[in-house]
Amino acid sequence: MNLSDYQNEFDNLISKQSFSAVSQPSRKDTFSKFLDSGLPTRKWEDWRHTDLSFLNKNNFRIPESSDASDGSIDISNYEIPNTFTVIIINGHYLTINSDLPKEITVSTNSNGENWTPKNKKDTPFELLNASLSDSTITITTEPNASIQKPIHILFLCTGNDDLMINPQVNIDISHSSSATIIEQYVSNTSSFFQNTSVFASIEKNASLNHVRIHSNSDQTANISGLHVTQSDDSTYNYFQLVDGGALQRSDIYTNLKGKNATCSLSGLALLDKKQHSATYIISDHIMPNCVSLQNFKSVLNGSASGVFNGRAIVREDSQKTDSKQSNKNLLLSDQALMNSNPQLEIYADDVKCAHGSTTGALDKEALFYMQSRGINKKEATSLLIRGFVSELINDIKNEDVKDYLFEKFDNWLLNNNQ
Amino acid sequence: MLEVKNLHVEVEGKQILNGIDLNVKPGEMHAIMGLNGSGKSTLSNAITGRENYSVTKGDIIYKNESIVEMEPNERALAGIFMSFQYPTVIPGVNNTYFLRAAVNAKRKYNKQKEYDAASFLKFVKSKLKEVEMDSKYLKRAVNEGFSGGEKKRNEMLQLLCLEPELAIMDETDSGLDIDALKIISKGINNYKNKDRSFLVITHYQRLLKYIEPDVVHVLIDGKIIKSGGKELALELEEKGYSWLES
Repeated sequence: MNLSDYQNEFDNLISKQSFSAVSQPSRKDTFSKFLDSGLPTRKWEDWRHTDLSFLNKNNFRIPESSDASDGSIDISNYEIPNTFTVIIINGHYLTINSDLPKEITVSTNSNGENWTPKNKKDTPFELLNASLSDSTITITTEPNASIQKPIHILFLCTGNDDLMINPQVNIDISHSSSATIIEQYVSNTSSFFQNTSVFASIEKNASLNHVRIHSNSDQTANISGLHVTQSDDSTYNYFQLVDGGALQRSDIYTNLKGKNATCSLSGLALLDKKQHSATYIISDHIMPNCVSLQNFKSVLNGSASGVFNGRAIVREDSQKTDSKQSNKNLLLSDQALMNSNPQLEIYADDVKCAHGSTTGALDKEALFYMQSRGINKKEATSLLIRGFVSELINDIKNEDVKDYLFEKFDNWLLNNNQ
Repeated sequence: MLEVKNLHVEVEGKQILNGIDLNVKPGEMHAIMGLNGSGKSTLSNAITGRENYSVTKGDIIYKNESIVEMEPNERALAGIFMSFQYPTVIPGVNNTYFLRAAVNAKRKYNKQKEYDAASFLKFVKSKLKEVEMDSKYLKRAVNEGFSGGEKKRNEMLQLLCLEPELAIMDETDSGLDIDALKIISKGINNYKNKDRSFLVITHYQRLLKYIEPDVVHVLIDGKIIKSGGKELALELEEKGYSWLES
């Protein structure tokens, strides 16, 4: 797919009768910026480890309403107990499976009604998202509300192949409220491109637990931008699991704009075959007394590859910052490749910052130790890999979500330790 | 129980053992003594089947069968145990979980019912007392944050849980204070009976004050150059190894 193919998709979209005229000027402006920049190439510093030929080789189109399903879809594999599930099929809102408490609202907007998509960083994929986005979902909590049950947004791509969807998700956690939101990306089509932008705002004293699960089929590209803004005394906990998709990329920007805020980002990539998963992070410390953590791990099998590029910026006024970055990777095959690059950029003098990165194969000493106790090599390998990942999954507070993630890990292990 | 015949072992292309003969009968305790680099640990690694320790000549017979081609876990299930000189730290793997996996592998091999979490805890707590180990060590990752003495007690705990017939104690006394040494020795003495054999590998005769070997072998340059009763250990203590070197 080249730029003129994207142009055709854009023209088709805005010429639709159902499409609102209100957002057209801004979309045209955004799309021309996208054309100016073009898609990234490996000559771009932030893209040099990521091969985008998957996108160039395929032709994707924006789904029509006829691509949407009749609703007879089996989602039992993706159900997480004790959650409110919002189902989005091919980018379009389908249903929510239970009654939400009144303290939280989930609203959707499609066909570009009176709404203009957001764009924050002017990166090519964000510009593309803001030009082509035809559906948005907005989740808002009321002040002081404590929403116990997680909201589970299930993005499901199904039916026809080669669809391209560009959803936007807005999350507004009002002051002193708390919620847990799970985004999950799954597909049963052979080829598909999803480009998502998520904007979360966490107000004073509020807290958001955010879990993202990428479990797409082998021929999918999933690119997402995540923008988080935190006010005073707020808490943000993010965890991502990547165990599917040909190409997965997360760009995460967290702005610690308030004092005493805590931002904890973590993730686990379980990759095999030729999968590629890249995580780029900028944690921006603007105010004093904030904590930011980045803790990412990958297990790579086959000829899979991964990138961790985590940056923490500690600005002049952000004294007493506490920032830690850790990236650990386990290579199960000689062909697997990991690029790890934790970075600190510090302009304040009274701060505590640390970073570290390790990449290696399974510990042979540990394997022999276990075998010498009668445990066979396969089980010893499983115990070691499980030991490597469990620290991260155990940090998930919600027990149902934790169980679901361990179940996914066990399934992955079953296919990758034979 | 264990018969080592003319054993030659190479590690990464380097010949370390040059023809070892050893015959350990049920209920016997043999001590292998020697300086660093004499091949003591190579012998224990060859018996337990560590990778890269290749037998180039000779054989290792355990319970009348050659074990040279067996996987390390198969040797363990058959009843061979080694207490490591440097027990491995395994981050992220819970000590109880690991120990239960090992005990259940053995029980499955013996066609016994495997332990569930609750029944295993009961089982392991009775063993903890014997090595005077705090149950808090069960909750940690395997050997993580354990002192030298705690690691050796954890080895002893594994031995008591797995009930091997041939236990190889590789430099068990290194890094132990006198109290821990007494506890480990007591554990060995209580465990030993007419069906269980020990191969005790040591540099010094310190451990041999607390346990009494039936036979002492002196290993120099990958060969046993002298064997004798426990008095040989005392002689070595007095005269050092040099008097044996030609």
